[in-house]
Amino acid sequence: MRRRPPAAPPRSSPGFAFARRSGKRIAPMIEVVHLSKSYGAIAAVHDLSFSVEAGQVVGFLGPNGAGKSTTLRILAGFLGASSGKVTIAGFDIVDERHEALKRLGYMPETSPLYPEMKVREYLSFRAELKDVLRSKRRTEVGRCLELAQLSDMAEMVIGHLSKGYRQRVGIADALLASPPLLILDEPTAGLDPNQIREVRALIGSLGERHTVLLSTHILSEVEASCSRAIVIAKGRLVAEGSIDAIRGRGRPEVRLVVRGDEAVLRKALGAVDGLGSPAIETRGELLHATATLPGEGLDDADQAVEQVVASLAKVKLGVRSVTTSAASLEEVFAELTGKDDRPPGRSSPAPVAASGAPRGSDEGARRAGAAEEDAS
Amino acid sequence: MRGLFPIFKRELFAHFVTPLAWVAMTAFLLIQGLHFFLIVQHFAGQLDLSADAGPVQTYFGQTMMLYLPLLFVCPVLTMRLFAEERRSGTIEPLLTAPVDTAGVVLGKYLAVVVIYAVMWLPTVLYMVLVGRYGAVDWNVVASGYLAVLAIGAGYLAIGTMTSALARSQLAAALTSAMAIMGLFMLGVGEFIFPEGVGRDLAGHVSAWAQMNDFSRGIVDSRRLVFDATVVALPLFVTVRAVDAWRLE
Repeated sequence: MRRRPPAAPPRSSPGFAFARRSGKRIAPMIEVVHLSKSYGAIAAVHDLSFSVEAGQVVGFLGPNGAGKSTTLRILAGFLGASSGKVTIAGFDIVDERHEALKRLGYMPETSPLYPEMKVREYLSFRAELKDVLRSKRRTEVGRCLELAQLSDMAEMVIGHLSKGYRQRVGIADALLASPPLLILDEPTAGLDPNQIREVRALIGSLGERHTVLLSTHILSEVEASCSRAIVIAKGRLVAEGSIDAIRGRGRPEVRLVVRGDEAVLRKALGAVDGLGSPAIETRGELLHATATLPGEGLDDADQAVEQVVASLAKVKLGVRSVTTSAASLEEVFAELTGKDDRPPGRSSPAPVAASGAPRGSDEGARRAGAAEEDAS
Repeated sequence: MRGLFPIFKRELFAHFVTPLAWVAMTAFLLIQGLHFFLIVQHFAGQLDLSADAGPVQTYFGQTMMLYLPLLFVCPVLTMRLFAEERRSGTIEPLLTAPVDTAGVVLGKYLAVVVIYAVMWLPTVLYMVLVGRYGAVDWNVVASGYLAVLAIGAGYLAIGTMTSALARSQLAAALTSAMAIMGLFMLGVGEFIFPEGVGRDLAGHVSAWAQMNDFSRGIVDSRRLVFDATVVALPLFVTVRAVDAWRLE
């Protein structure tokens, strides 16, 4: 999928020396190293490092004001970083701006467009800006109209379009000249449920041919469309990895409904290794107990559940119901982004390591956390 | 200069689909038409004319009516260029396309220069009319238009700059109108200041003096160099300003 540039200017970056020597760019699609951006005294993004491999659909998550749009704007070359480095398909967004920009399609938040132009005119203009040859422009615009399901609206004036269609024009624009990387800032913001479903389906199909980085604060969106997520809060990386790995960071729980004596139940549960101290309440003759399961992820937890049931059976308590629940992504998200005193960046560093990026993100995030503690 | 031509075309298109453009153009032509009518009426009463004081010379060089409208028209033409793109956010897709800032600025600037030229185009008809009833030296007409274009190009560059610096179209129009008027007033200082540096400076930047010369066919390169400065400097500042948004 990745195209090699016809003549890559020699770069001094030692990280890519190997890639250049072998005549092949093995750089990840996006690589962000120690990126910081401040507006005056306010740090919007603080020492952020991550990378995205080619072929992934990655969700960029965070609460409102976490620095998502700022980060994406830097990735797309619209804003300059205060410090740090961004490369797109191996091209530095500052030093090799043009080469980098040619490889990415960017849809800004709310997809701003020229209201006086017709959809086809606008896309044709954008195609020309993106160096699509005149002879191919018409078919290329047609292709993107088709992909974004806009063919019926091609002759409409953009100012008359609904929000959902404007958003699609933005996506069609990002698709022009089929760049290997798509960066979409909140592609489903402000859409109705039907439109959201359509846009998600579209993103899903785009993931087959493009690397996609999409930002959102809606979790179900990430679950629906992404294979990986990067979670930031207050401009810092708090988690990165597959959706399951992130979800696994929340503690699963076991809920029991038992008939019998509370002290006996408490003792029986205390005998199980690694089980959190249970919260027990009495409702009529039944006891409702909730306890967190050991380990991270469900496999460990399943074994603990077996032990719990065995232990309860041994003391002859009447077990009415046993249910386990994985922490929802919402809960994990709230935990990850809600507290800032917790050492961040614990989640699987494997993708970072695999990309050959410096593993400084954890350390940096931790340092940042320490700095904040110092300040407070 | 990547992006220059598509942006140039889009700006032309965007300009001519807005009613404001046609209103400004109509108002401008009404004023110029009235202006020309008054001049012709004045000369119709005179028995003989000296070689360098006919209606053409008067039209280009002897009245304020020619460039007073420019103080208003140029800011209106340019106010939209960057201020509107920033307000609506379209600057973001524009600058994240593989274009360079100089291309964006020049594309937009050249579009307004062309619009400006188109606005003047119908006034050539006046010269044709004069030519039907008397002798017109077309070289003098050409030098008159050259001055109109050169002065206007400078005013438009100033407007482009303020559009990039200001946060709103209105602020852009007001600041460029004030800047242009300031420059014009400084030129008028030629008649006010006592002899010395002040008067020399005023004479050098005077649009009035320039029109006076060019309307009689005196193409003074010093004037053109000054006009080119008034074009280049604001455009340079514009490019830097657009780049600076990214670092704010």
